[in-house]
Amino acid sequence: MSVWLIVFVIVLLALLGAPLFTIIGAFALYGFSSSNTDLSATIIELYRIADSPPLIAIPLFTFAGYLLAESNSPKRFVDLARALFGWMPGGLAIVVLMTCAFFTAFTGASGVTIVALGGMLYPILLKERYPERFSLGLVTASGSIGLLFPPSLPIILYGLISAVSIDRLFVAGIIPGFILIGVLSVYSIRTGLVADVPRTEFSWKNVLTTARAAAWELPLPVIVIGGIYGGAFTATEAAAVTAFYVFIIEVFVYRDLKLTKDVPRVMIDSMLLVGAILAILGTAFGLTNYFIDQQVPQKLFEIVREHISSKVTFLLILNGFLLIVGMMMDIFSAIIVIVPLILPIAREFGVNPLHLGIIFLTNLEIGYLTPPVGLNLFLSSLRFEKSILHISRSVLIFILLELIALLLITYIPEFSLWLVGLLGTQ
Amino acid sequence: MKLLLRLDSYLNKVEGSFLITFLGLMVVLAFLQVILRNVFSSGIMWADILLRHLVLWIGFLGAALATSRKRHINIDALTRFLPTKPRHAVGVLTDLFAAGICYLLFRSSITFVQNEIAEKTTIYADIPAWCGEIIIPIGFGLLVVHFVIRGVLSARELFSKGQAA
Repeated sequence: MSVWLIVFVIVLLALLGAPLFTIIGAFALYGFSSSNTDLSATIIELYRIADSPPLIAIPLFTFAGYLLAESNSPKRFVDLARALFGWMPGGLAIVVLMTCAFFTAFTGASGVTIVALGGMLYPILLKERYPERFSLGLVTASGSIGLLFPPSLPIILYGLISAVSIDRLFVAGIIPGFILIGVLSVYSIRTGLVADVPRTEFSWKNVLTTARAAAWELPLPVIVIGGIYGGAFTATEAAAVTAFYVFIIEVFVYRDLKLTKDVPRVMIDSMLLVGAILAILGTAFGLTNYFIDQQVPQKLFEIVREHISSKVTFLLILNGFLLIVGMMMDIFSAIIVIVPLILPIAREFGVNPLHLGIIFLTNLEIGYLTPPVGLNLFLSSLRFEKSILHISRSVLIFILLELIALLLITYIPEFSLWLVGLLGTQ
Repeated sequence: MKLLLRLDSYLNKVEGSFLITFLGLMVVLAFLQVILRNVFSSGIMWADILLRHLVLWIGFLGAALATSRKRHINIDALTRFLPTKPRHAVGVLTDLFAAGICYLLFRSSITFVQNEIAEKTTIYADIPAWCGEIIIPIGFGLLVVHFVIRGVLSARELFSKGQAA
């Protein structure tokens, strides 16, 4: 009775907006004290943060992503993408999808994409006579697209929590990531044709000039993906090279950012996100340890097995559950708290942990858009000064399209696993 | 009140400078290590241990700063729709709760560090483990201070708004 009262109060405080790391910490402290374990057990678990080499990648990639977003590199990428895709029907919309995916992969869907890129691209879309509702929906949906591409923070976190190799997860996400972009691109091309938006002439000269402008930034995907798959680096080493490289080019080559004025600000700004994530991670280590002590995953599995027997039903229910989680929680806490509980169950149903990770992230990506509380809706509403209702209406079709992609990704595991097997990283 | 605000911003300034130093060190050291490992097939023995501890230190400093700037991850789906006054009231409640939990974690981390000192654990060579771990009680201590200040500021807001209305 009193147990449930305490759980109720803590959940209530969570819903009232108490920082989630204190909620998780409260559960961990309560759990340990009720099983007569010394409370310093929470700290022993938290100290594992300093014992996990892949974690070094998180501050490094985040810093690099924020540096890129704060420099003029979004503009250089948009220019290049327009030179490449502007001639296609719906070309500008595809430009939006591609550039947003790139920056979201580097900044981890922390809202930077909508604020920095969406703000720049939305007026251009309108000027080129794309319908208002489509444009608004597109920039809002693009704010989280690209989560499946390396080096996105959610992928790294999933790897850390599930003990699945981050290098392999980086490959697993590539095809599903392109499926998401592909589905939305098809719709964009259709919209472009129907609205009869003007297209630009393709010119090699344009491609060359814009490519030259972005010449220093173009090797980035190669460093991250090529470096890892060429076998040159681990994910952590790729993060070290990326952070150092981005810092040098933005500060000393392009000189977009001033060393004494901008860099300290970007450093602090990016580390606020890292601090917020690590606070949750550190306290969640304690809670997860308590759950495992109490055999919570096994008990959950027994409950699930009583009601579900087939893998197909399990995946369907998992999708439904994760969509709700994605609506309520941000992606980082969702991964940190839910993955340890679901992973053993999924394994019993024969779901590959790599595939599970991709399903997880795709669901949570859609959760960013789901009314009434998806985060992207609020960011867009603030940035473009439109009501939440208006934004929600504009993203409905995009949610539907992403759900189709989700079903493909969920029920055809080869999309996630084929490339991993091919590259022999299995 | 002014004193509290000044304390908060003074602490933030100190935390910020340490954060910038540590992140700078991390970027340079991590890169150096990759070069040494891949080009010269060597590496600095203690660098990996230092880098892993820098993550912990950066995490706590970032979390302390995130408290003053209200950047902690929370569920704000419900409070977003509240009018100003009830929102401040809820803010006082959740900030004090957060301060309380951080205080409990602070006390647990003191026990943890004391145990480590007693057991003479080391991280690398002769360096005692508590040197790397000391940030845990410091960090939770800072979090308590920031959450209390945040709560008091919310309470003041609640009170002054109440008089105006």
